Amino acid sequence: MLSYAFKRLAQSIPTLFIVITISFFLMRLAPGGPFDGERKLPPEIEANILAAYNLDKPLYWQFFDYLGGILQGDFGPSFKYKDFTVSDLIWAGFPVSLELGMWAMLLGVVFGVSIGCYAALKQNTRLDYLMMGGAMAGIAIPNFVMAPILTLVFGVYLSWLPVGGWDSGAVANKVLPVIALALPQIAYIARMTRGSMIEVMGSHFIRTARAKGLSERKVVRRHALKSALLPVVSYLGPATAGIITGSVVIEQIFGIPGIGRYFVQAALNRDYTLVMGTVVFYGALIILFNLVVDLIYGLLDPQIRYDD
Amino acid sequence: MAEQPILEVENLHVDFALHTGTVSAVKGVSFSLSKGETLALVGESGSGKSVTALSILQLLPPVARYPQGSIRYDGQEMLGARPGTLQTIRGNRVAMVFQEPMTSLNPLQTVEQQVAEVLTEHRGMDRKEARARVLELFRLVGIPDAERRLSAYPHELSGGQRQRVMIAMALACEPDVLIADEPTTALDVTIQAQIMALLKDLKQRFGMAMLFITHDLGIVHHFADRVCVMRLGEVVEQGSTREVFANPQHPYTRELLDAEPHGHKEPPPEDAPVLLEARDVKVWFPIRGGWFSRVTGHVKAVDRISLTLREGQTLGIVGESGSGKSTLGKAILKLLDSDGRIRFEGAAIDGLSPLQMKPLRRKMQVVFQDPFGSLSPRMTIGEVIAEGLKVHEPLMSARQREAAVIQALEEVAIDPGLRNRYPHEFSGGQRQRIAIARAMVLKPKFLLLDEPTSALDRSVQVKVVDLLKALQRKYGLTYLFISHDLAVVRAMADEVIVMQHGRVVEHGRAEQIFHHPRQDYTRQLLAASFDLELTDGARVA
Repeated sequence: MLSYAFKRLAQSIPTLFIVITISFFLMRLAPGGPFDGERKLPPEIEANILAAYNLDKPLYWQFFDYLGGILQGDFGPSFKYKDFTVSDLIWAGFPVSLELGMWAMLLGVVFGVSIGCYAALKQNTRLDYLMMGGAMAGIAIPNFVMAPILTLVFGVYLSWLPVGGWDSGAVANKVLPVIALALPQIAYIARMTRGSMIEVMGSHFIRTARAKGLSERKVVRRHALKSALLPVVSYLGPATAGIITGSVVIEQIFGIPGIGRYFVQAALNRDYTLVMGTVVFYGALIILFNLVVDLIYGLLDPQIRYDD
Repeated sequence: MAEQPILEVENLHVDFALHTGTVSAVKGVSFSLSKGETLALVGESGSGKSVTALSILQLLPPVARYPQGSIRYDGQEMLGARPGTLQTIRGNRVAMVFQEPMTSLNPLQTVEQQVAEVLTEHRGMDRKEARARVLELFRLVGIPDAERRLSAYPHELSGGQRQRVMIAMALACEPDVLIADEPTTALDVTIQAQIMALLKDLKQRFGMAMLFITHDLGIVHHFADRVCVMRLGEVVEQGSTREVFANPQHPYTRELLDAEPHGHKEPPPEDAPVLLEARDVKVWFPIRGGWFSRVTGHVKAVDRISLTLREGQTLGIVGESGSGKSTLGKAILKLLDSDGRIRFEGAAIDGLSPLQMKPLRRKMQVVFQDPFGSLSPRMTIGEVIAEGLKVHEPLMSARQREAAVIQALEEVAIDPGLRNRYPHEFSGGQRQRIAIARAMVLKPKFLLLDEPTSALDRSVQVKVVDLLKALQRKYGLTYLFISHDLAVVRAMADEVIVMQHGRVVEHGRAEQIFHHPRQDYTRQLLAASFDLELTDGARVA
C-alpha cells in the first residue's frame, strides 16, 4: 500500500506539470498585464518595472524560470501586493479557506448521507419525492445565486446573521458562507446515497441478512450502510474540487479573506505569480486528497488491494 | 414418513404489482412437508418454484402480494405475520440456502462475522462461543483449512466454498426446515455433486426437513422423497419420487422426464478431408505487477493443444469453468491472439491479419452461450441476421437479402413474419435459434458453438440440439462444440477433448470417452454428471 501511494505521487508529477503549463500560457494569453493602470506609465518606467520582474524576457525563458522556482518551493513575489511573496499570501489565506471547506464538507456528508438513506428507505413516498426534489434544486441552483438569497433572507430581512465580512473568524460570520458552500454538496451526496442505498437494499446479500432473522434496522446498519457508502467515499475526491471552486465565488461574495478571494482579485489584476501559485497549490491539494480517498476506499473494501 | 407436517402451504397465490399491471407468478400451490422429509419442487424457468420458496420466509421484494392462501410453519401462519415473529423463525427454525453463492454473502465482512451473526442473534452467544461454533460448522461442511478461512472475505473463496459457508450459516441453529433454492446450479458438476452429498449427509444427521428447489431431475431422483412438478405457477403433479419417475401422470411431467438429450453422432468417413487443423495452440495471459507493469508471470489459459477437424465432424470440448475451453475456441477462430499453427482448408491462417481473415470469416461462424447478451437489443432480428450479408456480400440487393433472411429463419423454425421484432420479444430458446440463423445465413462450413445450450431449460435444450444436428446433416457442417454439460456433448459429438487447467486430459472417440474413460478426471466428471450417487464423499481439489 505504501509503494502504491508512492507510485501515485510519482504519477502526479506529470499531471501537475500539465496544469502548470496550461495555466501559465493561458494566463499570458489574456489581454493586459499586471502594471496596466488608468494612467499610462512613462515608457522608461514601464521598461524598468518589466525588467525588474523579468517580464521583458522571452515567454519560454519566463516559463522555465518559473518552473525552476517552483522546484525550489519559490512561487515568486506578488505583483500587486508589494512586499509580499505568493507563499506569504497563500499561507495567510489558507487557514480561513480550509476552515470554511472542512465545515462545508462535514455538513455535506452528514446531511447528504442522512437525507439520502432516509429517502431510500422511504422510496417512492411523498417524503422521498420532496427530499429528492429539494436535492435537485440544490444541484441546479448555482451558489452565486444561492449566496445572495441567503444573505437577503437571513442577513437583511431577518437580521439574524451578518451579511459578510470575517471579523477575525467570529462564528456568526461563518454560518452563511458555510451553508452556501455545503448546499450543493448535501444535494449531490443525498441523491447519490439514495441511489446506491436502493441498489444495495435489493441485492442478494441483503436478502441473506433478512433470511438470518435480523430486524430491518440491523439489516440496514450492519449490512447495507457500509456498502451503500462506498460510492460516497469515492465522490469525496471530486467533492473537494467542488468545494474549492465553490469557495472562490463564496469568499468573493461574503468578503472573506481566504485564498479564493485572492485568486479572483489576482486574476482580475493579472497578478501572474499569485494566480499561478494558487492554481498549483490547489492542484496539488486536489491530487493529494484524491489519493487519500483512494487509500481510504482500499481500507473499506476488502476486494480492493493495492499491492502493486 | 407421514408424520405431522412441519410446513404446510395451502392454495398459495403470489402476484407482482408492476408498473405494467399485475402478474400472477404462483396460482394456487399447495403442498406439505413432514419432519425429516425431502420434498423437491421441480420446474423450468418461470414455473414459480423460486417465488414459492421465497414466500415461505417472506423474502420477496415489496412488490409481491398475497391475495390468497396460507403458509404455516408448525401451525404458525407466516403470511402477514408480524416482523418480530418472522425474525425469530428466519435463520433459526427455517433456514435458506440461495442459488447465487457469488453474491449472497456480504462482500465487506469476513465469513466468520457473517456466520457468527446468526448465532449471536438467535442463541445469544458471545464472540468466543460463536467463533468456536463457526469453526465447528466450517469443519462440518467440509471447508478445507477451516481455521484460516474464518477471517477470509467472500471474494477470497471459490463458488463451492462460498456455498459451503452459506450452508454452514443455514445450519448454525440446527433448523427444522432447510429450504435450498437451486443450491448447485451456479457450480461446476464435480462441486455440484459434493454439495449435494453434503446436504444429504447433513439432512440425515440433523433430521431436518428439506424443501429442495431445482430444475434438474437427476438431482431429484437421487435426493427427494417426494416431488412437486410445477409449471406456470401451478403444481401439475405431486407424489413420491419413485411413483412420479416410474409412472408420470401429467403430460408435462413426461415431457420433462423425456427431456434428456438423446442419440449420438456417427463420425464422418475416414477419408473426409481435413477442414481445420491446429498444432500446439498456446494462449498465455501475462500477469503484470510492480513498477511500470512488468510481466511477472503467465496464466496458461490454453497450453499447447492440438486438434484436427474433418468435414462433417463434431468435436466436443468439455471441462469445468476456468479449464480454458472457451479461450481455445476463440483462439482457433483467431478472435484472440495465440501462438501455434492453425490451418483452415489447407491454408495457414495463424499469421493472417484481421483484414486478411475477413473473407474467411463467413466460412467460420460462432454461436455464443448468452442468447440475451449476444444479440444487439437495438436491432430487429431481421437486421441482426442481414448484417453479416451486408459485410460479406455487399452487392446483394435488398430483396435478395430479405429472401436469405426469411430462408434462414425458416431453417431454424422461427416464423419469418416476426423478423421485424426486437430480440427482447423472444424467449431464450428462440433467441438461440435466431443466433444460429444469424450464423447460418452466411452458409458457413464451420461453426464454433460455445455453450449454446447452457442458458436454456432442458426441454428447450433438446430442441436446439436436434436443430443443430439436422442442420449439420443437411449442409455437412463441421462443429466445434464447447460445453460443460456432458449429456449434451454425448448427444452432439463424435469426438471429445476433456480439458482441465488449460491442458488436454483425455482425447478420443465419444464412445470411448463416455464408456471407457481412461483418466480419473474424466471418470469424476462423468460420475458427477450422470450418476450423482457414485461420488458420495468424493473430494476433488
